[in-house]
Parts: sequence; structure tokens; C-alpha cells
Amino acid sequence: MKPDAAILAGDIPEALIEPALTVGVVTPGSLDDQVLAFPETKPPKQWYIALAVTLTALGIGVGCIGYVFATGIGAWGNTSPVFWAFDIINFVFWVGIGHAGTLISAILFLFRKRWRNAIARFAEAMTIFAVICAVIFPLIHVGRPWLAYWLFPYPNQRALWTNFRSPLLWDVFAVNTYFSVSLMFWYLGLIPDIASMRDRATGKVRKVIYTVLAMGWRGAASHWQHYEKAYLLLAGLATGLVLSVHSVVSFDFATSVVPGWHMTIFPPYFVAGAIFAGFAMVVMVLVVVRETMQLKNLITMRHLEVMNKVILAMSCIMGYSYMMEGFTAWYSMNEYLHHGFMNIISGTYGWAGWVTISCNIFIPQILWFKKARASYFWMILVAVGVTIGMWFERFVIIVVSLHQDYLPSAWRIYKPTMIDFGVLLGTFGIFFTLVLLFARVLPVIATTEVKAILPGAQPSHHGDDHHA
Amino acid sequence: MPETSYAVLGVFETPDALMKAIPQARAAKLGTVEAYTPYAIHGIEEALGLRRSPLGGMVLVMGILGAITAFGFQYWISAIDYPIITGGKGAGSWEAFIPIMFEVTVLFATFTAGLGMLFLLNKLPFFGHPVLSSKSIKGITRDRYVLAVEAESEAFDSAAAARTLQAAGAIEIEALPAPDRSPFLTSDYILRTLGGIFIACVVAGLAMYFATKWFPVLAPMKYMHEQPRLNAQKASDFFKDGHGMQQPVPGTVARGYLPTATGTQEEAASLVNPLPRTPEVFALGKKVYTNRCEVCHGAVGNGVGSLTAAYGAKPANLQAQQFLDYPDGKIYWAIVNGKNSMPSHAPYLSERERWAVVDYVRALQRAQNAKDEDLKVATR
Repeated sequence: MKPDAAILAGDIPEALIEPALTVGVVTPGSLDDQVLAFPETKPPKQWYIALAVTLTALGIGVGCIGYVFATGIGAWGNTSPVFWAFDIINFVFWVGIGHAGTLISAILFLFRKRWRNAIARFAEAMTIFAVICAVIFPLIHVGRPWLAYWLFPYPNQRALWTNFRSPLLWDVFAVNTYFSVSLMFWYLGLIPDIASMRDRATGKVRKVIYTVLAMGWRGAASHWQHYEKAYLLLAGLATGLVLSVHSVVSFDFATSVVPGWHMTIFPPYFVAGAIFAGFAMVVMVLVVVRETMQLKNLITMRHLEVMNKVILAMSCIMGYSYMMEGFTAWYSMNEYLHHGFMNIISGTYGWAGWVTISCNIFIPQILWFKKARASYFWMILVAVGVTIGMWFERFVIIVVSLHQDYLPSAWRIYKPTMIDFGVLLGTFGIFFTLVLLFARVLPVIATTEVKAILPGAQPSHHGDDHHA
Repeated sequence: MPETSYAVLGVFETPDALMKAIPQARAAKLGTVEAYTPYAIHGIEEALGLRRSPLGGMVLVMGILGAITAFGFQYWISAIDYPIITGGKGAGSWEAFIPIMFEVTVLFATFTAGLGMLFLLNKLPFFGHPVLSSKSIKGITRDRYVLAVEAESEAFDSAAAARTLQAAGAIEIEALPAPDRSPFLTSDYILRTLGGIFIACVVAGLAMYFATKWFPVLAPMKYMHEQPRLNAQKASDFFKDGHGMQQPVPGTVARGYLPTATGTQEEAASLVNPLPRTPEVFALGKKVYTNRCEVCHGAVGNGVGSLTAAYGAKPANLQAQQFLDYPDGKIYWAIVNGKNSMPSHAPYLSERERWAVVDYVRALQRAQNAKDEDLKVATR
């Protein structure tokens, strides 16, 4: 289709002009000096304090996991009939956090949303760290993690194969693929940036490390051509993947017969919830990053505002999903579903149901107001609320559905132990430790990608017919 | 300017200047024209006349291969090598294979896209390229746009290339010397590498040997079968006598197996059957008699059982006058203690079962010696 002649002539209506993606004068050189300088300078005192805090949390988590290994998973509160509790809650929670990164780096790339370029790197890094946190849980939940390789189908002397009809095995493939692909995506994006750091590096050790990591990238046009193609293909593949991963996670529940799990709405509902939780986490971290690392001119208020709009949209989808859960329970005329739904809003764990609904549906509605979307106070409040709310949503789905299913004689109240909380705290420690380390050794903003969208970065086509 | 050079680089300040210079550099036909830029520049591949990237086709092929691999793998395992019916689905039902097929397709396709781009198409990692050691590389990865005219043959005219680039508006010109072509894999180098690997192997082997020899084998994780427990017929230092299995405490009696104080058969004669005569007791007695007594004493208690011929034994004919006159206690004594060739049945029969059998034997005796009144009871 031929573009409108008026638009080609530069006569674009004002409403269609995309506002500048950066604040102030940013040139490719100044961008490098601003972003790539972090790893070259000594970290400030606050960074060490933050690292001490996250390492403490990590240490508590490692201690708790060590205690679990030494004594067995009876150290957790899991008990019949709630065999899946914190482990699967935290697994789903962390995998979900990761989804925002892939959405930003892949889906928004396909949609040509150029504002994504400034935040994609951080979001992708958070994806990888979140998936690392997530995979810890199935591994420790198997009870004998040193035998976790049994999850993979490989020829063995026991003459046994895995069951390919089990959604849990689908999970093994989905999560492993997701981690590999995210890592590949992240690393490919990093290569040109690492090449920039290599050519800036002064110290010998630093130079060697960045030289090896950059693989000898030299920015040749013939390389860029393949690189861009690979990036586009990866974005397309990762888009399908990100939708599939949380769908597969939801199959763990949806393919069972437990009332409250056996629902066809689960895959889209889980994907939306994952993006919702992930965006909240990205907003939370980005606010801290742009404030402490002086990146306000690159991660602008407009970025945060657009992200808050996504959060709002996802919140509405979540609200719809919750209503559909109630509707399904009512319309099915199935007393088990009725009971399950009433448990969410008025059972023993009714408070958890209301925390979920308030944090995920009610609080984010403040983002309808432009002032709230541009206010640190409100966006942090919403982001923290959504993080808590989405954790409790998984708690509601898993514990509330399991603790009372068909047989009243098998009902029991579930109580987590301190070890459960310790392991959860530990994963937050791992996540934020990795985030802090990442912020100090690698460029937090994809400088190459931002350079490509700066004003004047692309050749002007006026009076030049090479593109006609 | 050196005699042989690899390429001449011209540095430009803006992408526009670079794009304008490309046609001029190509028109001079001095060598291959290549551009080095800090980021991808739209339309540069057409300006340089680069062929389309074949990556899309590679990814498509590998993606399809991934799908086929995943399907074949799952089908062979689930339907052929290890067919198990789960969830009532047939061994060959393929619908459940789709999620993993999708994941493996994406995995194959992504690795082809990423690694194929890096290793096959861009021939990376490559640390020896002359551009990497040029002065201009700092600008290339920062904010400079470099056009290179690269030598295609010995007859490369670097001066002409420099003039062309200068005329096209380059702000700086850099001539790259030809790369060092001395052989990389000299015999000395190979020897040193192999020697290094050998020494590393020896050191690692010795370290492992002494590590396992000097340190006790640590078992941080225990398997379930390694837990501390008593095993039947195995030694154990938990008890003083060193046995894993222990005799019951003296005087211990299992439920339902109360020993009866029966001295001699004569002393037992006074025992009275404590069980009521009910259909349940009768049914229990019949069951136990059929299982335990019938093979020798016969179905009606006449001493002709299915085993008597085979063993040549002469079991008691319970229908004989001697046994018709026995009090219940004497039959009970015989069951508990055995008599002649008959072993004791006390280990197999509970107190209740023993007395039920006594009851049943009485019924058999009466059935074989029925009186007229019995008929009346039966027809009532």
C-alpha cells in the first residue's frame, strides 16, 4: 500500500506525530558516555547498602533451602490435600514476572513501538532473573533435587520414559525453552553494546572480558543485515513463545479435575496476569533505576506513563477474568464450582480473595487519571499492590481450590511455615542481587537500539531516491 | 602508506554523508565496499548491493525439523517404546504432543536464528579482523560511520581508494595494513597446546585421586533406602544382643490368640464352648473346617479326605462312636495341641475360630446321625 502523499511530503497531522523519545539533547556519543560509564565507575555507597540487603535475603533463602534439603520437604506447610502450595505459587509468580520482559522486547518490537528500545534491555534482564528464581521451585519441590534430571526424557537403565501426556512435562520443555530463548535474545541484543564497552575499556581485565563477550563484533553493514533479520525472527518466535509458556503453566491446573482449576479461560487469564505482574515489577525497578542512575532523559515520564496504561489495560482484563470465574461457577449450576467460588470471597481464605481483588482490580483503576499515571506515589503504590495482589491470586487459585475439593472428609486448612516464607524471601534476594549486579557490569539501556531511534539517526529520504 | 594494505577506511560524521558516499565508492570499482556503523542503518543493504539474508529460510527449515523431531520423539516413546495408557487416551493419541512440538519448534528456530546469524553468516567469533585493531573502531561502536574499500586482489590501489573516499566527503582516512598472514597453527604452538592439555589432565586426575583418598566420601544427600532403621534378619548395634529382630517381651500375646490353659486332654474335657450357636458361628466354623480340616477328615468328617490316600495316613473318623461321645473340650484340645500325626493348629486359628470348628464338627456328627426330631426342626 502506498503511503498518503501528504504524509510523504512531511505534512503529518500533529496528533500522529510521535513525541520525542528522549528529553533534551541526546547524541550517540553522549548516550554512550551516559549509559556505558556506569560499569566504568566505582559503585556509590547506596549500591553497596542495597547489595548487602539483597544478599542477606539471599542468604536467608539459601539457609532455608539447605534446611529443606537436610530435613526433607516436610519442613514446609504442604500437607494433604494441599500438596502444591508455596512452591507452585512462587513458581507461577516468578515465571509471570518474566513475561513482561519478553512482551516489551518481542511483542512491542513487532508492533514497532519505538519507546520500548530504552527499557527493553532492563526488562529482558529481569525476565532472565525471574525465570532463574522460578525454576528453583520445581527443583526443590521434587524433594530430591539431585535427581531432577529425571524430568528429562533420556535413555536410562531403568528403561523408563517420561509421560508426554503430563502438563508437568510440558512445563519442563516450556520453561527450559523460555529460558534459553530469553537468554539468546538478551545476549544478541547485548553484543553490539558490549562491543562499544570493549572499545571504551581501559583496564586490561575489563578489555579481555568484553572482547570475548563481544565475539569480535565490528559493526559491518553485512553483519547488521543478518543481525536485524535474526532479531526480527527472534522477536516473532519469542512472541509465540511468551504466549505459550504461561498457557502451558496454566495447563498444570486447567487439565486437572479440581473445581476452580478445570476452566477453559485459564490460559489467556494466566498470560494476562503474567504480563500484568511483570509490568508492575518493571515499573517499580525502572523508577528506582532512573532516579538513582540519572537516566531521566532516556527513561522519561512518558515511558512510565505508557507502561502504566498497559497495567491499567491488563487490570481490566483481570477484572473480566475474575467476573468470568464467578459467572462460570454460577452458570454451570455445579455445586462444587459454587462452593469453590464462595470459598474465594467468603471462606477461610476469603481475606486472600479480597486482597487479590482489591490489589489487582480496584487500586489500579486510579491509573485512569493522567496525574496518577505520572506520579511516583501512585505508580509505586499500584505496582507494589499488583505484585502483592498477583502473588495472592496464585495463592487463591492453588491453596483455596485444593484445600476443599470434592470430598469433605479430605478437607484441611493449610498453614505455611517460616521456612516457606524464608525461601520466598530468598528468591527476592536472588532476583534483586542479580538486578544490582547487572546494573553495574552491563549497559542497562540498549544504547545501540536507542542510537537508532535518535533524531537524525536514520538517513533522510528527502531528495534522495534510493528508497523510492 | 604501506605497500600492501587490507582496506582504506573513510570516516563520516552522519548517516546521510555515509549514504551519499556509498554510490561514489562503488562506482570507482576499486574493491569491495563495506560500511561499519554503530547501529543498523535502514536502506544501507540496498545501497551496498548486499544479497538478502538467507536466515529466514534457514529458520523455517530448522523450525519444521524441530516440529518433526519433537513429534517423532514423543510418538516413538509414547506409542512404540513405552506405551502406557494415561488418562484413558490411546498410546498413539498425538494431541497431547502439540505443546512440546511447539516448544521444540521455537527452540530449534531460535537457536538457528541466533547461532546461525553469529556463527554461520557473520563468521563470529572472529577476533583477528583488521578493522578491530584500527583506530576507527572506537568511532564505529560509538558515533562514527565508516566506509571501507577492501582489497580484492594484490593490485589494490590504496591511494586511489583514499582519494575516492576523500572526494566523497570523508573527514578522516585510515589505511589498514594487510593482516598478519603468518601461519596460526605452527607445530610449536600445537605441541605447546597439547602439552598444556596433557599437564592439565594429569593435575586434575591427581587432584581427584587424592581428594577421594584423603577426604572421606561425603554424602550430603541420603537416599530413602539409606535411612537408619532395623532390618529383619540383619545385625544392628541398637540392641545389646546385636540382633535387628527381637523376641517379643515374655508374656506378650497377640490379639485373638489367647493361650488356653489346657494340660492334658482329660483336664480339657471340662471346657465349655463359649460361642453362641448362631448362623455366623456356623458359617465361620464351616469356612475354617473346609480350609484346614477337610483335606484329611473329609467333607462329612468321616476320615476320608482328598489327601489321605496320597499320604497313607489314617485320620480320625469323627463319626466314630468314640468321638461322638467326646465332650467339646476334648475336640478343642486336639485342635490346639494336635494328636498323633495331626499337628497343632493353634498358630493358624484364633480362639474364636477353634471353637467355631468344634461347633461345626458337632453339626457334622449330628447330620450323619440325624433323629426324627431333627426333621421336624428342619421343616418348621
